[in-house]
Amino acid sequence: MIEIRQLSKSFGSLQVLKNIDLTIKQQEVVVLIGSSGSGKSTLLRCLNFLETANGGEIIIDSELINSDKTNLNKVREKVGMVFQHFNLFPHKTVLENIIEAPIYVKREKKEHAILKAQKLLQKVGLRDKANFYPEQLSGGQKQRVAIARALAMEPQVMLFDEPTSALDPELVGEVLQVMKELAREGMTMVIVTHEMGFAKEVADRVIMLADGYIIEENHPNELFSNPQHERTQRFLNQVL
Amino acid sequence: MTLFTNIIDIISEHGIAFLKASWMTISITAISLLFAMIIGFIFSSFKISSNKILNRIADLYIGIIRGTPLIVQIMFLYYGIANFVTLSSFTAGALALGIHTGAYIAEIIRGAVQSIDRGQLEAARSLGMPKSLAMRRIIFPQAYKRAIPPLGNQFIISLKDSSLVAYISVTDLYNTALTVQGENFMPFETYFVVGLYYLIIVLIFTFITNKVEKKLDVSKPKEALPA
Ligand SMILES: Nc1ncnc2c1ncn2[C@@H]1O[C@H](COP(=O)(O)OP(=O)(O)OP(=O)(O)O)[C@@H](O)[C@H]1O
Ligand SMILES: [Mg+2]
Repeated sequence: MIEIRQLSKSFGSLQVLKNIDLTIKQQEVVVLIGSSGSGKSTLLRCLNFLETANGGEIIIDSELINSDKTNLNKVREKVGMVFQHFNLFPHKTVLENIIEAPIYVKREKKEHAILKAQKLLQKVGLRDKANFYPEQLSGGQKQRVAIARALAMEPQVMLFDEPTSALDPELVGEVLQVMKELAREGMTMVIVTHEMGFAKEVADRVIMLADGYIIEENHPNELFSNPQHERTQRFLNQVL
Repeated sequence: MTLFTNIIDIISEHGIAFLKASWMTISITAISLLFAMIIGFIFSSFKISSNKILNRIADLYIGIIRGTPLIVQIMFLYYGIANFVTLSSFTAGALALGIHTGAYIAEIIRGAVQSIDRGQLEAARSLGMPKSLAMRRIIFPQAYKRAIPPLGNQFIISLKDSSLVAYISVTDLYNTALTVQGENFMPFETYFVVGLYYLIIVLIFTFITNKVEKKLDVSKPKEALPA
């Protein structure tokens, strides 16, 4: 589904990603972990081209994405993204947030987009909030709307960058629940999270980033119970 | 007491002339602002653009305009280029005011756009929206509400600055005051009256912008409808 070869990314003199190789299979759920500043967000942002990599190749859906030649907007349609701070459009209702891109990017008929949005809202448990504005929602509700908004583009992969980090503890569960449901349905997902219980339950693979390298990757049971790298051990001791 | 009667006299004698002059002040300001808004939009998008050449052009324009006095710009357009193009005093005045205010409006619009959280553009782009669509549908609708208070402020400044066109003999409020004062030799009373006219126009305008601001208040969402 996604193939990353020798990906590197620098900000000025700071090299954040160093020759990352990573393949993500269809329907696979991959969790990225690593301490703050290790480049987790940067890696995700390179995958939907919010950042332009300095070197390496990204192949999505067997197409080599060359940022000069490929229509990146078309690629982004295939890759949904959920942000830590939701980034809902505050001047639009929940429903309008969800139907915006399907109508203006995919040129769907409005009635069709609305029907689909209502189904998605049902799925994330917010059917009754369609005509609310984002600021009238709790954090957990906002993040569920953001997930529905990304899903409305019918992406082939979903990227999550710490989707529950900005939430009050009691609201984390409802968002993770929606993500588990997505995983069960077979959505391909790449998730940055510090929720290790969730990772254990849902992830097919956990990847540990440090200093711009993938230093360790394994099935969550293996990686959490028997980490090979001492940086991984130290990191897990801090978060578990 | 004579002060007061003098003022009444000036108003009864020249009130109509001042009203006509007010109309001139308002129309030259309005036309210049229309022009300034267009310039402001164009140059703010030059500044926001990722194209370095467009950035430079905008910086140059804004730099020159902000770095030179308005009166010099007015004189330049009326007398300075008279050998090449002759503009009527009204056209030269409106043009100079528009070019001048446009630079400030460009900065106001740029500031409002850049005050919108980066995450908004990223979210829009991540949904596959091209930059122009994202600006039009997501960024501008949020930014223009933030631009209204500083724009209102700028409009008031422009209205008062328009008094400088008196020096190229546009018969605006200030020019009329100069004429009246030259006839009656009562500078205190005459400038008091013309000040009053400006103040009333500004107060009416402020009242309108406050209404608009309230109506567009971003912090208060429209009533949520039952689903
Ligand atoms: N736009 C940018 N300009 C300059 N430096 C940046 C930029 N974005 C990220 N960085 C730097 O790159 C490094 C990696 O950042 P990144 O956000 O990918 O880390 P992260 O693993 O997601 O951390 P966190 O857990 O805190 O979110 C950090 O040192 C950060 O300061
Ligand atoms: Mg991060």
